[in-house]
Amino acid sequence: MNHMIKYIIRRLVQAIPTFIGITILSYLLMSLSPGGAIRLLTFGDTRLKPEEREAIEARLGFNDPIFVQYLRWFLGDHWMRWDANSDGVSDGSFLVPLDADGDGAPEPPGVGRGVILLDFGSSLTRGRRDALSVIAERIPATLELGVASLLVGLVVGLPIGILAAVWRGSFFDNFTRIFATFSTAIPIFWFGFMLILLFGVTIKGPDGQGLLPMGSRCPTSLTGGCAPLHERLEYLILPTLALAVGAVAGFSRYMRASMLDVINQDYMRTARSKGLNNRVVWFKHGARNALIPIATFLGPALTGLLSGAAITENVFSWPGLGRLAVESVTAKDYPIVMAVVIMTSIATILGFILSDILYALIDPRIRFS
Amino acid sequence: MAHLEKLWYKSKLAHYMCHVECNLFSKIPLGGKMLKATRFLLIGVTAALIGAFVIPAFAQDVTPGQGGILIEGNFGGDVQTLNPFFISDTASSRVAGFIWPGLVAVDPDTATFRQNDPTALAESWTISDDGLVYTFTLKQNWTWSDGTPITARDIQYSWDALVSGALDETSRYVSLQEQIASVESPDDYTLVVTYNFADCTAISNAATIPVVPSHVFPADYAELTPDWEFNLAPTVTGGLMTFGALNPGEQVALVSSQSFGGAPEGVLLAGYIYKNVPDQRVLVEQFVAGGEGNPNVIDGPAVSARADLIADPNVQPYQFPGNAWDYLALNYADPANAQARFAEDDSEIDQGHHPLFGDLRVRKAISHAINVDEMIEAALFGFGDRMNAFSVQASWAYPQDLPMIEFNQEMASDMLTEAGFVDDDNDPATPRVAQGAMYAADGTPFVFTLLTNQGNARRETVATLIQAQLALVGVQVDVQAIEFNTVLEAMDNQNFDAVLLGWRNGYPDDPDQLNLFGGTADTIGGNNMVSYYNPRFDELSRAAAAVPGCATEDRIPLYAEIQTLLQDELPYIPLYTIQGFYGSNVGVSGFDPRPSNLFWNVDTWAVRAQ
Repeated sequence: MNHMIKYIIRRLVQAIPTFIGITILSYLLMSLSPGGAIRLLTFGDTRLKPEEREAIEARLGFNDPIFVQYLRWFLGDHWMRWDANSDGVSDGSFLVPLDADGDGAPEPPGVGRGVILLDFGSSLTRGRRDALSVIAERIPATLELGVASLLVGLVVGLPIGILAAVWRGSFFDNFTRIFATFSTAIPIFWFGFMLILLFGVTIKGPDGQGLLPMGSRCPTSLTGGCAPLHERLEYLILPTLALAVGAVAGFSRYMRASMLDVINQDYMRTARSKGLNNRVVWFKHGARNALIPIATFLGPALTGLLSGAAITENVFSWPGLGRLAVESVTAKDYPIVMAVVIMTSIATILGFILSDILYALIDPRIRFS
Repeated sequence: MAHLEKLWYKSKLAHYMCHVECNLFSKIPLGGKMLKATRFLLIGVTAALIGAFVIPAFAQDVTPGQGGILIEGNFGGDVQTLNPFFISDTASSRVAGFIWPGLVAVDPDTATFRQNDPTALAESWTISDDGLVYTFTLKQNWTWSDGTPITARDIQYSWDALVSGALDETSRYVSLQEQIASVESPDDYTLVVTYNFADCTAISNAATIPVVPSHVFPADYAELTPDWEFNLAPTVTGGLMTFGALNPGEQVALVSSQSFGGAPEGVLLAGYIYKNVPDQRVLVEQFVAGGEGNPNVIDGPAVSARADLIADPNVQPYQFPGNAWDYLALNYADPANAQARFAEDDSEIDQGHHPLFGDLRVRKAISHAINVDEMIEAALFGFGDRMNAFSVQASWAYPQDLPMIEFNQEMASDMLTEAGFVDDDNDPATPRVAQGAMYAADGTPFVFTLLTNQGNARRETVATLIQAQLALVGVQVDVQAIEFNTVLEAMDNQNFDAVLLGWRNGYPDDPDQLNLFGGTADTIGGNNMVSYYNPRFDELSRAAAAVPGCATEDRIPLYAEIQTLLQDELPYIPLYTIQGFYGSNVGVSGFDPRPSNLFWNVDTWAVRAQ
């Protein structure tokens, strides 16, 4: 256990430069992207004079050098412009001018704590709400859809992979191969739309309406809120199907390949020679060992749960993180975009560490070192 | 004033304040438009018959608050705030229009502001002789949802907050303060707005000041922040509906208010839900499918879906000449040396000339070489109307007598040759080259880049058509459909050749285009990105905006002259307007929209279970 803790700590420490590198790269990319927050902040007011626009830019720090802007974003600005005597007026500054817009009055003291303390700033579009809280309210929806599709992917995909391996060359194997090829090839938005047409429009339920809801996470109601998941499972079915079809294809192919590796191993022959039936041999002896490589995919798969599925969420009006990210990119809502990028980066880093830990835990031949 | 289509927030006023109607049938030119007019008429007659004989029987049986739930699909973003001080997006404006009262409203028949509109807080107003002082008399029986009377103090509060300096200065109200000198409330039901200069948009500007419950809003304006929890859950409102619930990313629900002063007979609907459906195709399918939980009213579906919607017996369609239009902007100035028109000392700066489009003859040739009718058929599925200049047909200022620009490629070829761009090899596959052109060096091929926003199927199709049509007269177009903000950046920096983009006008239509084509708008980041300049245009525009009394009949001739001038000098190449479309499920009674406002009579609507 000590080895594992040391290993985890070492990996986390090693992840710090990676994380900082990601923040620099993503901030630079964002800075280079066309358009500007000022247009958004000023509501595109066509009557705003250039000098007024410039004053706003200066006041908000858009004219500062890029590294200062990065530092403000990453470490906050409470140390850049401060109020020593607590009278509400800045009386000192570092790296930035005290009076940025040149109107003779100091700019307000900095209050930002920076990304390092999970302060991503305020959304430029969503009522200037705290970016992290905007993201937090989308996570349950993303997790619901992500977990459901991952479960379907595993529960359906793994047995298919096992059976395709043990029945190699059979009709079933060929059929699942074609299915997997189709599943990975078809555009997910098209598949989603077809599901909506089929189950929401064409096939009617007993009440004469579409068999399944055509989108949304919760039933519409004047009182708002969202019923517990078990009372609205029908809303989860179509988006889960759309998202899981790729996971089923992927897991089944990985599992098939992994199973083929173990199926001719000595211990499998030994199991058969002991008179065990096929089901026990395949699933108890074969599948358990074949699952080891699959475990390495679980870390990134868990990351995928958090990062959301933008296209599926869009097609099915699912209020998750992926849709939030797309909407924010379109709206140039930089704080939200950057918050999503950073949270996803952290999840990815942690996912890979988790993957390595799982691998070592499952396979005793791997040691934490 | 027109508005950049991307700047969705500019439609706020249209939906937030106006309860508008406009008799547009009288504005549809006959002759070539006869079929379209007939189509509109048939649809209108059908809707009227349904409305006259079928729906009232149902609506009469409905008691206020029991008329079902109206569900509208929202394919824009999430509702971002419901505090009128901070609203900047279409979705928020839509919902806010139901919950906040408006100072003034627009006459459904004339599409101009009218006094004593039943849905407006102002009963009447008077204008001083110099046009600087507007005195509004407010209705005395209107209350907020908590029973507190709505008074002039509630508007005074907003103005005081705006000029206090405590609010976020990045709001659009920065420019409003340049127009309005003061707002005073000598008593509870009198509001006096004094302007810095006389302008025919004075009432529109006054209507922009939020009407908010000052007894609920913070006394310290510094607490009036974008993250105030009231902003997304207003506890006291004063409109047709009260706030119900917000599910981020999913829906906003409103509950009918039976105390709304603008609906003394009560509101039949139980409530209204603005449901997020980000994919337009899915939205149309949900609307057509109907049933519980799906949208039963739709605004502006994709043109590709409209024919099916019109043919659907379960849909009540309403089409009208739209207020959104696309244009082809050709840069007048040298894109390699982009500068503002005027220096700080107001002296004129030499902006150079675009090597191709700096010559007016070339611009005219382009305008004759493109076939707008073909664009309307191919890209708008027929749901568009040609523009003769830059005023929409729905506008009261539309120049009826101004002819369309003739499509004549032979004439265009001759004009290009005359302008010094010749087909030196008689090979239609290669572009013309300059030989004695006004601003292009000899040998310069007639090749330019046309930017448009990626993801807009209509514009991408139109750009491709322009490319094909201009190729026929020896002009080579490199079409680049790129990310929207990149297009905007090129426009802001004025370093483009040509841009295909659009504007959307508001209601009531403000035909002033000084902000688009005026000399002072020709700045880096300004709206006059093509660097068009004619002092006569500026002079006419200022005169038209300040006609004493602001009577439309006095202003129309001035705007007709302006549009004639613009058609002659072509700051843009005019293309088409996109027709508007509203629709409701047949189970919705009372559906009787007008171009400017789908919901002007929504208090009489009811939804019958299908």
